[in-house]
Amino acid sequence: MITVEGLTKVYAGVRAVDDLTFAVESGKVTGFLGPNGAGKSTTMRMVLGLDRPTAGSARVSGKRYTDFPAPLREVGALLDAGAMHPGRTGRSHLRIGAHSNGIARSRVDEVIEQVGLEAAAGRRVKGYSLGMRQRLGIAAALLGDPPVLLFDEPVNGLDLDGVRWIRALLRGFADEGRTVLVSSHLMSEMQLIADRVVVIGRGRLIADTEMDGLLAGLDGQRVRVRSPRADDLAALLARDVTVALHGQGELEVRGLAASAVGDLAHAHGIPLHHLAEVEQSLEDAYLALTEGSVEHHGHVPASAEGGVR
Amino acid sequence: MSSATVLARAGRAEWSRIWSVRSSWVLVVCLGLFMVGVAVLAGVDAASNPESIPADATGWDGARFTAMFALFGTVALAVMTSTADHATGAIVPTLQWSPRRGILFAARGLVIVLTVTLIGIILVTLASLVMGALAGVGLPLDDGLRSAGELAVVLACGALLGIGLGLATRSTAASLVLALALLLVLPPIVANLPFEWAATVSSWLPGSAALFLIFGEGPLDDMTVSLARLTMVGWAVGAATLGALRLVRSDAGH
Repeated sequence: MITVEGLTKVYAGVRAVDDLTFAVESGKVTGFLGPNGAGKSTTMRMVLGLDRPTAGSARVSGKRYTDFPAPLREVGALLDAGAMHPGRTGRSHLRIGAHSNGIARSRVDEVIEQVGLEAAAGRRVKGYSLGMRQRLGIAAALLGDPPVLLFDEPVNGLDLDGVRWIRALLRGFADEGRTVLVSSHLMSEMQLIADRVVVIGRGRLIADTEMDGLLAGLDGQRVRVRSPRADDLAALLARDVTVALHGQGELEVRGLAASAVGDLAHAHGIPLHHLAEVEQSLEDAYLALTEGSVEHHGHVPASAEGGVR
Repeated sequence: MSSATVLARAGRAEWSRIWSVRSSWVLVVCLGLFMVGVAVLAGVDAASNPESIPADATGWDGARFTAMFALFGTVALAVMTSTADHATGAIVPTLQWSPRRGILFAARGLVIVLTVTLIGIILVTLASLVMGALAGVGLPLDDGLRSAGELAVVLACGALLGIGLGLATRSTAASLVLALALLLVLPPIVANLPFEWAATVSSWLPGSAALFLIFGEGPLDDMTVSLARLTMVGWAVGAATLGALRLVRSDAGH
């Protein structure tokens, strides 16, 4: 279990993390979300003892990270896949980690096999692709077979096969009862993996909730319906619920189940060509939550706006 | 788990860090070839002019000048190995694996100092053997041991100075420039300044102290071995303290 209490970090007068309090439970994958510059990586660095908190504390299994004599056996972490000596081989990199924590050499070969780097382990890291470095970083995190895992953007640079592998890996760890904290910008990925989400913005806690609860908190269910008599159907529905016209003959209905929309259309003899509930997305929930917390906004050129959906 | 166990593990990891990158091997091999090559040239030259060799000369005396190359080489190796983590970003996994920074500093200092000191002594000994054999002069064991002991102090202090500067600046280039300035550039420049105090100040620099301990010559006539040793140790401990404070107190990447 990871416990963060009143954690604060000030860099040159800027509060990168501001009085953050949350707990990451074991047996679940917890997604750690927030816009760029929200303080996710800084929080993880403080949990791992890399940066000193200005105030507050971060503990793993009740202890400060720096109190562990062999931390790889307690916490495995991948923060920055590029943070390794490019002149070292992958195997040498892992052996140094193993030496520093009293882990057997044979375990190095086990994790190399687990992440699928057997063929590249003897090559120097400077020749690795981003995906291979990511796998090497994950191998290092798994060296001590720890009960707590932290991953910062673990699917960065991975191909589809790698993404599916890490998804299964994280799910498997949580199912084994381990504590898993994962940050990612890929909302669709987090929606598939995470059981719980912690959302921060401008260093402050915005939400700390179960994934289902977060999605249910969105403004009601939505149904997409297409009909050659969309105007007639919209007129009928608009008496009770919100209806929006989406292109030629397509409606989006809020506040009514798909079955009820179908029944109503059938009762009035209106033919339907498409009827489906719109899945609630974490992306929508995330955007709603972090609307006021985005520090860096991009601008779309006016000429390109028409082509952006 | 005892701190000694943690220190031993961190030390083993440091040893692997040094020898798992090609640059360390390249530096040691090049330094060795250069020192032995210079000893060969000096030995051949001495053999061709036997009248220029003093009666009491030994191979240790003849190859003494190679000790300065050993000093620069070992300082460079100490700087490279102590700054590599920050230069490559590898400080993140290093501190994740060894989060007790005081122990990490102790392990890094011990392993690097012992390793580069031993390498320096081996290379100087090798150069002396080559020089002695080519020039046809003796290599008395007691002289050799005394020279090696003095050289060990110089090399160990030079290595600790390099580690301290490396950890304090977190920059390979800045550390090498500072080390070269203190050991090579500043001592003669300061000594030749037109002030009465210039020679005294120059004698307090580590380069002057190293020169005195190796060759017995310094900017002041009344320099002593104990003062020169104290100067070397003072600079080494001072730089190491700065480096340790930076490592222990500062955030990993700042």
